[in-house]
Amino acid sequence: MGRRIAIVEDEAAIRANYAEALVRQGYDVAAYADRPAALAAFRSRLPDLAIIDIGLGDEPEGGFTLCGELRAMSARLPIIFLTARDSDFDIVSGLRLGADDYLTKDVSLPHLLARVAALFRRVEAISEARPQEDLLERGPLRLDAMRLVAEWKGQPVALTLTEFWMVHTLARTPGHVKSRDQLMQDARLVDDGTITSHVKRIRRKFAAIDADFDCIESVYGMGYRWKA
Amino acid sequence: MKPAIRPRFSLRAKLALLSLLLLALPWVGYRYVKEMEALLLEGQRDALVATSRAVATALHDRPQLMQVRPRTSLSSQSASIALLPGEELVEAAPTPAAEVESDQPAVAEVEAILRGLERTTSRIWVVNRDLRVLALAGSLRHDERAESGAAGGNGGERLTGWKGPWYALLARIMPPGGAALDDVVDPDRVATGREVFDALLMGAPASRLSRIADSGVMVVSAAHPIWSGDQVLGAVVVEESTHSIQSLRNRALERLLLLTLAGFVIAAVLVFGFASRLSSRIRRLRDEAEGAIDARGRITPVRTGSVAGDEVGDLSRSFSALLDRLARNQSYLESMASRLSHELRTPIAVVRSSLENLHTVAMPQEAETYMARAEAGLSRLSRILSRMSEATRMEQALATTESERFDLRTVVNECVNGYSVVYPTQRFEGDLPAYPVWVRGAPDLAAQMLDKLVENAADFAQPETPIRISLKFLSAMAELSVTNIGPPLPAELEGRLFESMVSARKRDGGDEPHLGLGLYVARMIAVFHGGTLRAENLETGDGVCMSAEFRLA
Repeated sequence: MGRRIAIVEDEAAIRANYAEALVRQGYDVAAYADRPAALAAFRSRLPDLAIIDIGLGDEPEGGFTLCGELRAMSARLPIIFLTARDSDFDIVSGLRLGADDYLTKDVSLPHLLARVAALFRRVEAISEARPQEDLLERGPLRLDAMRLVAEWKGQPVALTLTEFWMVHTLARTPGHVKSRDQLMQDARLVDDGTITSHVKRIRRKFAAIDADFDCIESVYGMGYRWKA
Repeated sequence: MKPAIRPRFSLRAKLALLSLLLLALPWVGYRYVKEMEALLLEGQRDALVATSRAVATALHDRPQLMQVRPRTSLSSQSASIALLPGEELVEAAPTPAAEVESDQPAVAEVEAILRGLERTTSRIWVVNRDLRVLALAGSLRHDERAESGAAGGNGGERLTGWKGPWYALLARIMPPGGAALDDVVDPDRVATGREVFDALLMGAPASRLSRIADSGVMVVSAAHPIWSGDQVLGAVVVEESTHSIQSLRNRALERLLLLTLAGFVIAAVLVFGFASRLSSRIRRLRDEAEGAIDARGRITPVRTGSVAGDEVGDLSRSFSALLDRLARNQSYLESMASRLSHELRTPIAVVRSSLENLHTVAMPQEAETYMARAEAGLSRLSRILSRMSEATRMEQALATTESERFDLRTVVNECVNGYSVVYPTQRFEGDLPAYPVWVRGAPDLAAQMLDKLVENAADFAQPETPIRISLKFLSAMAELSVTNIGPPLPAELEGRLFESMVSARKRDGGDEPHLGLGLYVARMIAVFHGGTLRAENLETGDGVCMSAEFRLA
């Protein structure tokens, strides 16, 4: 059976385009134009994944509200913010509310589909407890590319998809400098302006577990590298 | 074109000058006291005329008066004091010895009257037609002691401390009235007096104000003829020094001077204080208005006197309102780029997703070309958009970035090494100090700023010329500069180069969009590091040097 994806987006053309693209991938898609309609539908049946815009109709923060409400209904439901707002403040707010990823609207359709697929894979991997494959170990770091789970000294680090891919890229070749372009491509980010703040967030997340964490090294003028 | 400003003349100085007008007050007071003095003198003259008339009245119609011999005591006194030998002569030689014994009782009566005159408070002369002195009574010095008790006498023991100079000053302004008065008995004075001639020759009472030659004492004298029938027998001359009036005047002037001086000091202090406060408020307002727009173009509101009810308050409020409007306008302009990019993002997403959906549809071969072009244009458009919001993002990043102490030299060194990889066709020269350069800030951001400067330099550098990156110590700052050989900065961009959406690039940017935001972001980072960013042409005129200052930590 096809997985069911809900798109909450007030712009009709975008909603239709994304919906069609997802349908072509074999997903069941339910599209809603505003928060009340979406919420009513979610109460009767939860989707398997939700893609939410932040500004919904006359509610400039409607997406945040909806995300909170959805998270209250299900702790495991993958939620992606897809929005025109790209400020650090909005990204942090979105991720704090429990979204699994935050994409700006200039993401290309293939990237969006890849993210969706990755999120589903993670859900599957977690729920089915399959044998771990595609495992990357660098000292205290363990990256499970299948389930998209990162562990540091045995403790899980709550990385978003973007952050996970960035760590994965860096840790795959320790000591090699990864340029911003490479990181952008691997993490499927669109904008190199946000790389710095992403790296900062990743460092902070690791530092929360281990205050001495300093494996991600800035190589000024070039990029970043994983210090083995 | 600025209008020429006249020499600086502060508000305080103007008000201080204006308060000098108060100095007219003592002058007015002085005039008034003078008037009073003249009036008093007039009164005194009248009083003396009356006295002389009274004495003359007692002596009218007494021809035997002429037989009275001048009193010995008086004449001897007059003889001893009078220095002129001729006077002695006048008095001694024509002694009318023959007439003396004619009418003894009458003479005695006249002498009694004349004796009675000695109780007077004035000096009274009785002269005959030949100007010989028949009687002299009283003294010019009569009330000296009483006067000195009131005014001058206390000066002796109190001339200490601040009062010494004070009385010296007073004495300069007003000569003490007849303090050194000797009782000058000078028959010449009487003899030459105009009033005596008036009385003797014209038979009319007269008075005058004269100065005793050496002592400088003013004396008021009045003369009245003594009649005997139709004949003028002689004259009564009454003299009085004006000492009492003068000392009265002096005391009045002294008090006036003291009061007006005190008043002037108080008024001057008040005016000065008021002027100081006013001008300090205005100066503060000026400084705030000048500082309201800082080097970054940020506007801070004016606060000085914003609640004061006067004109300065009004001015400050209108300044505030003006700046407020300016700030709103400015923030509108600043946020326009990011808002525009935000607003454009949605329609671009529509186009992009539509194009991408189109890929899944089978299309004729020619359509593929157009698709490719549309996508290229679209990706350029979205790059422009992300550049546009970069400044805003940087601002947000700066707001949340914590400062740390780092070695700028290491950062710059790594960057310089990195640039040869990023710009393979460009040569770089690094000029770094031998010691670490510790500054406070964020190394990422510092590197990002250097990126912007180098990117800019690389765009303008002539081929085959190196870009020079140097780091050196200034006194309390470190200066990081990027120099390239190439066209100089256009003069019209002087001072505006680091503003948002200002670009010196004239040629088409090719693939990379140029919005004039790179240097704007670079300046934001420089300011974050407590420094400044400036651009100047090389002295040789064939290149540009951008330098950022960092505060050393």
